[in-house]
Amino acid sequence: MDEKLKDILSNLSTEVDQETLLQYLQGKLPDDKKHEVEMHLLNSEFEEDAVEGLQAFKDKAQLQYMVDMLNRDLKKKTEKKKLRREKMKIQEQPWLYISLLILLILIIISYIIVRKLLSE
Amino acid sequence: MKPELNKDITDQELLDRFYADKNNEWLGLLLQRYTLLLLGVCMKYLKNEEEAKDAVQQVFLKVIQELHKYKVAYFKSWLYMVAKNHCLMRLREKQGKITAELNEKLTAQPHEETDTQNLLNNDRTLDLMEAALKELNPEQRQCVTLFYLEKKSYQDVSEETGFSLLQVKSYIQNGKRNLKILIEKKLTDNKGRVPGK
Repeated sequence: MDEKLKDILSNLSTEVDQETLLQYLQGKLPDDKKHEVEMHLLNSEFEEDAVEGLQAFKDKAQLQYMVDMLNRDLKKKTEKKKLRREKMKIQEQPWLYISLLILLILIIISYIIVRKLLSE
Repeated sequence: MKPELNKDITDQELLDRFYADKNNEWLGLLLQRYTLLLLGVCMKYLKNEEEAKDAVQQVFLKVIQELHKYKVAYFKSWLYMVAKNHCLMRLREKQGKITAELNEKLTAQPHEETDTQNLLNNDRTLDLMEAALKELNPEQRQCVTLFYLEKKSYQDVSEETGFSLLQVKSYIQNGKRNLKILIEKKLTDNKGRVPGK
């Protein structure tokens, strides 16, 4: 009894992962798990708001698909810059080598010209 | 280190890795953990499936931009605030109404957690709790007892009491809040009393 009374004030419930939340929304959880999720919802405004919104979706079976699509888009967004950076690196490298080569040739030519002028 | 989705890595660790190398892939992994919740929050406020999906994408972009500018201490609370503010702004644009920003929530959570822990650590709390439970109104007492002490789900409580799911949720939330207030009041009253008088 004492431990259960403590639950009323405790805000330290365990996190609920997305998969469990989806099962809860689709009514697929057993009673004890359902209660666990609801305990967590009472302690988190974020999750509580989210569940309220998710319950308004007409087809809850589509939620996983929507999440996957959003995640795929997110992945593209977060990878794009890195790929661009890598492409830039590849493109940058030949110019670097060419510039160094030209500089080296110029130094050699200048050296030869100066030597020639001095010897005359 | 290559960014991979690993449940053992905490949000804070992912955030620290992002701050260390500014690789957005860490943020991608972090935000993926909240996609479903963000979709729900956006749907709650915007009440339209397509708009909610668009809003989640915009929140992702906003978060990525903002995290490049400054450090965030409580990621989850901050993300919730960003999403909520974004939705309220969208509604304001749509309806032309003035809606208050919700910045004050950003730092409120950790203090509240500490207060509750202090209350739980107090030896007198459990003794007072039973008395306080009896002082709740009958609907709140019934729902709180069934939910917390008999571990029943909202659905079961609703079936047993005849209240709607929304009523059950509201009685439990208000009952919990009132219990906390009653206990805090009783603890303060007891402290004020001089022993033996």
